[in-house]
Amino acid sequence: MTAGSIIVTPASPSPVVVVEGLSRRYGSVTALDDVGFEVPAGARVALLGANGAGKSTLLATLCTLAPPRVGRVTIAGHDVARAGGEVRRRIGVLAHQPMVYEDLTSLENLRFFARLYGLLDANARIEELLRAVGLWRRRDEPARVLSRGYHQRLAMARALVHQPSVLLLDEPETGLDTDALTLLDDLMLRAAGITVLAATHRRDRVDDWSTGVLVLERGRIIEDSVSPPTPAAPRALAGAHA
Amino acid sequence: MTATWAILEKDLRLLWRQRTGWVSAGAFAAMTVITFSFAFDLATADVRPLLPGVLWVTFLFAGVIASSHSFSEEQEQGTFDALLLAPAPRSALYAGKALANLVGLLAIEAFVLVLGSVLFNVPLLVPRLLLVTVVGTVGYVGLATLLSTLGAVRSRAVLLPVLTLPLLVPLLIAAVRATGEALSGAPDGAPWLLLLAVFSFWSAVGAALLFPLVVEQ
Repeated sequence: MTAGSIIVTPASPSPVVVVEGLSRRYGSVTALDDVGFEVPAGARVALLGANGAGKSTLLATLCTLAPPRVGRVTIAGHDVARAGGEVRRRIGVLAHQPMVYEDLTSLENLRFFARLYGLLDANARIEELLRAVGLWRRRDEPARVLSRGYHQRLAMARALVHQPSVLLLDEPETGLDTDALTLLDDLMLRAAGITVLAATHRRDRVDDWSTGVLVLERGRIIEDSVSPPTPAAPRALAGAHA
Repeated sequence: MTATWAILEKDLRLLWRQRTGWVSAGAFAAMTVITFSFAFDLATADVRPLLPGVLWVTFLFAGVIASSHSFSEEQEQGTFDALLLAPAPRSALYAGKALANLVGLLAIEAFVLVLGSVLFNVPLLVPRLLLVTVVGTVGYVGLATLLSTLGAVRSRAVLLPVLTLPLLVPLLIAAVRATGEALSGAPDGAPWLLLLAVFSFWSAVGAALLFPLVVEQ
């Protein structure tokens, strides 16, 4: 910064998710092309774009399943490629598939995932979550007898069992009825203090819960109402004042 | 370690509830041993020189069926990604899966040894042979778990037998020879068991080290 320059930056919380120069190719297909953005703490971001725009690839990178080879991604200050364990401790993921064991009961599923996250005494948390998603009375039924909607409710509980501070959701509304959509909003999309990045095709619902949008097209960000303004514009302003 | 024990307990619970994969592996093992028992002339021939090969061929293919099933279920239900999303070290996840496969395969092998003892009229439940079986199975399961992960992650389950068999050749040679020594009552301290232990150790350690690379996309 040169002496006398004026940096005009809106007051905003420090970014929790930072993506810089992220690119990814699968053979001749470019899935992500120089993607960059920042998500402030507590923001609820809708990730929009047509099929094949790169939304799922971006989420897979953020959740450490496909660590970046080109570019850099940090979540809560931890590099996704170098400190995957620290990142995973802080994120909850809800995807197309519920990612629960069909032959375990709802209770056993949550107990297993709690132990997997190192939570040794999570009974109260598990009961709270099963009651919240409406599965407490059915806690001893195997997941395979649950309907698609109840599978997704169980998946919500799974994603929240370790109390993540960042939620990464890939089309979370799929297969949910009105009641379950309300649950999704209350527990995840509008939960206080949680940063949310959710890929969705439900543009009609985005205004209900999001604080900003990122629009992807052919692997590039074409609209970003989330990241703070880049320093380029303030510098031009500073030049005008000089 | 918590993650390892959690996966082991979960896999054993699912193994008991689902059973299909392990029952088909056990049925395959039983059919193999029974078929061999009909092929040999038990009345006149000494079958001991042939038994090491019979046993390890049976263990090998039963293990391929069982470990492949273990990961294909995870892949179909999307739960393998859920495991990878846990903050536990990848090697802890590998250890949990490998231990569950080890317990399942040892149970099948115990069944095969009992069945073989009856059908071949040779005492197979002797301490030294049990030791060889356990040591060899540790190395085998170590590699098979890694390669079945590769099959699941890359959605190419057919890769499992193709990749497993060449990599297992040294271990299988040592296992067959050590089993032969155990059956013939060769003196203790025979070199094949030691060699088998070395192969098994490095197979398990090497697979645990390679597992994080295999699961990354």
